[in-house]
Amino acid sequence: MRIMRKYAVVYRSVLMENLQYIGNIALGFVGYFILIFVFMNLWGYMYGEPGTRIAGYTKEQMIWYVMVTEMIWFGARTGAIVNQVTTDIRGGNIAYLMNKPYHYTLYILARHTGEWCIRLPMYALLAVAMGLTMVGRIPGFGIPALLSSATSVVLGVTINGVFKICISLMSFWIEDARPFQWLYDKLILIVGTLFPIEIFPAVVRPFFKLTPIYTVCYGPAKLVVDFHMEQYSEILLRQFLYLAVGIGLMFFIYGKGVKRLYVNGG
Amino acid sequence: MKVIEVENLSKTFRVKQKEKGMKGSIQAIFRPQTTQVRAVDKVSFKVDEGEVLAFIGPNGAGKSTTIKMLTGILYPDGGSVKVLGIDPVKKRRQLAYQIGTVFGQKEQLWTHLTPYDNFKFFGAIYDLSDLETERRIRELTDTFALSEFINTPVRNLSLGQRIRCEIAASLIHRPKVLFLDEPTIGLDPVVKENIRSLIKRMNQEFNTTIFLTSHDIGDIEKLCRRVIIVNSGRIVLDDSMAHLQFADASLEDVIMKIYSNGSA
Repeated sequence: MRIMRKYAVVYRSVLMENLQYIGNIALGFVGYFILIFVFMNLWGYMYGEPGTRIAGYTKEQMIWYVMVTEMIWFGARTGAIVNQVTTDIRGGNIAYLMNKPYHYTLYILARHTGEWCIRLPMYALLAVAMGLTMVGRIPGFGIPALLSSATSVVLGVTINGVFKICISLMSFWIEDARPFQWLYDKLILIVGTLFPIEIFPAVVRPFFKLTPIYTVCYGPAKLVVDFHMEQYSEILLRQFLYLAVGIGLMFFIYGKGVKRLYVNGG
Repeated sequence: MKVIEVENLSKTFRVKQKEKGMKGSIQAIFRPQTTQVRAVDKVSFKVDEGEVLAFIGPNGAGKSTTIKMLTGILYPDGGSVKVLGIDPVKKRRQLAYQIGTVFGQKEQLWTHLTPYDNFKFFGAIYDLSDLETERRIRELTDTFALSEFINTPVRNLSLGQRIRCEIAASLIHRPKVLFLDEPTIGLDPVVKENIRSLIKRMNQEFNTTIFLTSHDIGDIEKLCRRVIIVNSGRIVLDDSMAHLQFADASLEDVIMKIYSNGSA
């Protein structure tokens, strides 16, 4: 419990810091609004007749799916996981963070959580407002679906953070890990965010289920648009497995990498 | 009691080399070349409890690398280190509870938070209770005269005020050893003097061992009882300040001579 207290304090400090930037975060709403607006029109054109289903999704479900995945995408894009680890390692600042009595990677994860705890609810409010006014309610969405999908979103955002940290930690070996970040981001964006997995050919779907796409974006969004208890259990189990493996990997990479640390100016 | 024991400590870095121009850049992709730089070369010394030690040398001498190995940030290639009886390589986090570090060129404070919030943060990081943290904040606020700006965001403080807060933050958990890496860099003479008297007071009141690196002769003369000079990764002088001050030349002349000759 005492160990967790320090990470809770990191989280709280980031929260306090980021509360000063709510205006800046809100500026990102423009990008989200434009993207959703484009996809609303695109799917509106693709669906044509009312009652049509594509890959098992109604038009409303499809638009809500994109809104939820984009909400996760925009809400979880925190400075802690996008730039900080790579910058800390390349610039040598990691030396001044790792001589404190906490684990550097958990410190970064706490920072990530502190940031998304402000960003994500803001984007969630925007998504709900846009969805209810421009698309309408999701049929069958009630309290169980809300609670389950909220849990799943939180786990998804955390898994995303862990994997992004793992990729950034590669900066211990290579000059710049950002190209790998870019590849990971694009994979998640194209396969899990803009289109649900069912859109893709049946032969590649099992592979997608093994990637972070399933646990980060697809799973939580699927629970919002089409909630089933069995599916919730499956997604939750996969998320916990992914989280355990991801955290183990993160500790392993950090443990190996930190021995190679070379700090400029000493 | 010895609080720092260093025996034949060594560290070598591999530094990338590249021929000049575009041709060199392309060659470096296919045939990367590196050279080995011996940053610290079989350094041995011991430091007593409550001692104020100056660990000085020209740029690139290996001072910061040594501090980073003493605090567990860098892994030595050879030799052994014990700080307060703890091996920093094996038990970095355990050691972190007992030492404090201030790097004059790096900020450890959260700039958007006030010094008070920063102290609360560091109190929690070092597992102090809320009550103990509040008590320490009051003590440090008095010692370092921080009351005027304790509720001002760090980004709005002057450099001198920030360094005072940096040192105060590094003392929140009552460390037994404090590593100060150029703590007065960039400060005006009045603020420097202020910081020096605070460091002195801290050493006298709490018997904190101070391990100081600085290029400022004033820091060394006014604070330290012993000086270790390193050059090219090796110790070239380890003597008491009293002995050095008996020399015919000034301390600055002695240091300059050693820096340029590479040995005493």
